[in-house]
Amino acid sequence: MRLRGVLRFHWARDVDEALSLLRAYEGKGAILAGGVDLARSARTDIEGLIDITGTGLSYVREDPKGLRIGATTTLSELLFHPLSREYAGGVIAETLRLVAYPALRNVATIGGATVSAHPWADIPTMLVALGAEARWRNEEKEEKASVEELYKTQFRGIFREAILLELVLPHWDGVFVFEKIGRNAGDIALLNVCAGLGLREGKIAWARVAVGARPERGERLPWLEEMLLGKEPDENLWKKAEEEVKERIKVGSDRRASGEWRREVAGVLVRRTLARAAGKAVK
Amino acid sequence: MAVILKAKREVVGQNVLKVDGLPLATGQPKFTLDMDLPGALVGKILYSPYAHAEIVSIDTSEAEKVPGVACILHYGNVPRVPYTTAGQGWPEPSPYDTVLFDKKVRYVGDRVAAVAAETEEAALEALRKIKVEYKVLPAVFTVEEALAPGAPIIHDEEDAEGIYDAKRNIAAAVDVPIGNIEKGFAESDVVVEATCELPYSQHAAMEPHCVIAYFDEDGRLVIRSSTQVPFHIRRVVSRVLGIPIHRIRVVKPRIGGGFGSKQEIILEPVAAALALRTGRPVKMALSREEVFVSTRTIHPAKVRVKLGAKKDGTLHAIELEAILNTGAYGAHGGTTLYNVGSKALPLYNKARNLRFHGKAVYTNLPVAGAYRGYGANQGFFGLEIAMDMLAEKLGMDPIELRLRNHIRTGETSPIFEKLGEGREGKPQVIRSCALEECLRIGAERIGWYEKRRNPRRKGPWAYGVGLACAMQGSGITGVDMAAATLIMNEDGSFRLLVGATDLGTGSDTVLAQIAAEVLGVPVEKISVYSSDTDFTPFDKGAYASSTTYVSGNAVLKAAEEVKRQILEVASEILEEPAEGLILAGGKVVSERTGREVSLSEVGHRAFYVANQRQIAATASFACPESPPPFAAFFAEVAVDTETGIVRVEKFVVVADCGQPIHPKLAEGQLEGAVVQGIGHALYEEMLFSERGSTVNSTFFDYRIPTVLDVPEIEAILVPSDEPTGPFGAKSIAEVGIDGPVPAISNAIYHAVGVRLTRAPFTPERILAALRTKDKERKG
Repeated sequence: MRLRGVLRFHWARDVDEALSLLRAYEGKGAILAGGVDLARSARTDIEGLIDITGTGLSYVREDPKGLRIGATTTLSELLFHPLSREYAGGVIAETLRLVAYPALRNVATIGGATVSAHPWADIPTMLVALGAEARWRNEEKEEKASVEELYKTQFRGIFREAILLELVLPHWDGVFVFEKIGRNAGDIALLNVCAGLGLREGKIAWARVAVGARPERGERLPWLEEMLLGKEPDENLWKKAEEEVKERIKVGSDRRASGEWRREVAGVLVRRTLARAAGKAVK
Repeated sequence: MAVILKAKREVVGQNVLKVDGLPLATGQPKFTLDMDLPGALVGKILYSPYAHAEIVSIDTSEAEKVPGVACILHYGNVPRVPYTTAGQGWPEPSPYDTVLFDKKVRYVGDRVAAVAAETEEAALEALRKIKVEYKVLPAVFTVEEALAPGAPIIHDEEDAEGIYDAKRNIAAAVDVPIGNIEKGFAESDVVVEATCELPYSQHAAMEPHCVIAYFDEDGRLVIRSSTQVPFHIRRVVSRVLGIPIHRIRVVKPRIGGGFGSKQEIILEPVAAALALRTGRPVKMALSREEVFVSTRTIHPAKVRVKLGAKKDGTLHAIELEAILNTGAYGAHGGTTLYNVGSKALPLYNKARNLRFHGKAVYTNLPVAGAYRGYGANQGFFGLEIAMDMLAEKLGMDPIELRLRNHIRTGETSPIFEKLGEGREGKPQVIRSCALEECLRIGAERIGWYEKRRNPRRKGPWAYGVGLACAMQGSGITGVDMAAATLIMNEDGSFRLLVGATDLGTGSDTVLAQIAAEVLGVPVEKISVYSSDTDFTPFDKGAYASSTTYVSGNAVLKAAEEVKRQILEVASEILEEPAEGLILAGGKVVSERTGREVSLSEVGHRAFYVANQRQIAATASFACPESPPPFAAFFAEVAVDTETGIVRVEKFVVVADCGQPIHPKLAEGQLEGAVVQGIGHALYEEMLFSERGSTVNSTFFDYRIPTVLDVPEIEAILVPSDEPTGPFGAKSIAEVGIDGPVPAISNAIYHAVGVRLTRAPFTPERILAALRTKDKERKG
């Protein structure tokens, strides 16, 4: 445990109180929900922990805008919620089953995963592919942005002064699937892919593909999505997609895997996810 | 799978409840740190940030000012006594190349100083305030670099003893020729060669290293430690700190796993020195990161095996070369090196021409030490892949090749005499071997012949089966000794005092079963206490697969003597000669009259009534030979040819450990060893920066198999009857780790036709091998 400088623990009754406390610490306070990343944090300056799990942000519900998931909803709650299992072909459950271990999923929250957004993480790749929208509040106002856009900013700075409230996953007339490769069960990803397709009259009406842990964070491949539009889903198309990905994807090396391996396998995973999504969409 | 025991026994061979099962399962405080001592200080260690450096100066003045700091030790204020951390029997075969704190550091993680303070925070702050000026020296991180002419000398200290060639960084070396190896290869019809490499890996015991040292009311030093070797700690601490052995007591409570890592004596002398200097109890516990960086690892090895055989598959020549990286210090370097040959080579004793040679080489990387398998796993990795290659070249089934060559009951190997514990060994004849049956049963359970003939393919997934064989030992011939004391209480129950150290294996239960069987009582009547150097007799410790065989034989002898004494007292009561009395079911019965007397009556008479005495015995067993357990390993794997992922679909391990005393525990040892071996095959590898620091020193980044990774494992015991073992038993602890790596590699080869010889077999390495093969095929 590295949080050796913590002096106080606060149980916030609502988001306003949590924000007020956060401001009072002038950068030396930290929001605590599942605590998974906080426990691993290298920060030594944290003096106050502000627990937000009692602020009413644990929920999963559906409305015309999509699936609304409160930020303090644990990964296990989300994994086993009937709404998330039905959503977009079951991609949430498919992804979360591959994230860490049950014991960690019981405490880790969707908000924590969104805000920490480690490059090797699976949930950011899924959220980017799904076009998730994040809603947060600071002391002045409530704001929202797509997770994809948020990740292009210095988002960690935002959440030093703000609290993520919820994620809104839009409804999709189609299916998403997720695949990852880790070294063993519960591992972080060496590579992950989330892909979705919608079909109209036998042709691809929309496509979304995100690849993560390249080793950079999950990003969509718009050039690939564009290439797929209007095409008939078949093996040749998936093969072409694989070749395109191998040709164009930006990958790198780290101590877990080389860029060369990631380039080749990214193509394979994209082909497989697209084929599987199309298969499920047809059904 | 149920085992078939040779003879019906009441306790031995039964899956009795573990004697420590209930307290462990209910979380009773049992472990080293589950004891609070008032006024205990916290001990912490300052580690070297450099792989190789001289300490020019060390300034502790600022650190000493930190409130709560009681003591700081470093090279300047402790005696310099060379010793080895290896935790082996005396005289130690490992070099004396370590001192408590040195003026030179030899790897990132080498200890520089130790602090004892009132709190952990104060100790850590003091560590930060110790100013050390280093003169950084050139470092070597591979054996090739270390052996190159002009390489920096890692052990240039003059007082080190027992290093084979310090100037060339060679901790130990061996070259044993038998027959004529060159002629042997020349006479062979088929020759194959394989070079395999096993990297740095960690034991990953659940409980990190920890110790409490204090002086008791009589001023005697007490060390409570998570250790496999309490008696060796007592001897080594005595040497290092100059405290007589009789003034030291070492207590081993429950241990949360060791796998060899706690055969090393790492923290104990430091904690004892801090306690000695301060006069206060000192508690030390390593973090997981410290365990990775500063304790011990497996011996990374490059093993080259060359086999020559006749057309019919009979081996004619075997050359085995092992180059071990022993890291910055040579603990277990020579003995692990010897074990590569002494365990692997006797298995195929038909070859008349042998050569085993190799070196254990110093580098500026973490210190290698004892690790389950202890060289045998390194040796069988090379040997069993070479056997697979040979079978292919001969067009022979790999099982047939093994059957043609493996050692059998009544046979011997010249290796037993040539290779011992870092020196010459002793001749030995195999008195029990059921490997043939193990191979037959394993082949049947995995579906060997069908799957070898018709390998499955499903989309990108290619399936294959592979096998390996292995043998180990049961204790160290001519070195190991264990003793046991068995004392009868007046109610007919017994106290069994053993120096043997149950490190989670269940050996307390096994030893209790042996005593209970002889004494004709249920295990519940035997209270086992292990181990405490003040109260339990000597035992070499838990290593070298020795406890069931060596300590078990000591318990057997003690129990037989206690039985004799019981019958003597019963004979007085029943007024019949002892020869006509039977001890069973908690009583002594006359064969002739049917009259009986309970053990409680025997106990009360001996204690209080007539001819009063304590019924008790202490017996010792010195290991005259080391009967090998044998095992056959069968892996079925699926390889994703597009990503390189390998899945172990099923693993069958069939072992001959003689007569299993507790079949369930023996199966558990096999299963655990197989899982550890799967980790070595697929995930585990310590990685180092360019400066030699460990970069994946947590379980987040150093992956070990979890329950979610465990495939279907079938662990089957095929009993033989070892005449020298207690109730026919041999060892089981280590043999299970020797086979998974080569069996999985051979299965991958069967599935996709690429030979993986560098573990772990990561998706990246497999895919690269597949692409190389594709290119070669395309020409």
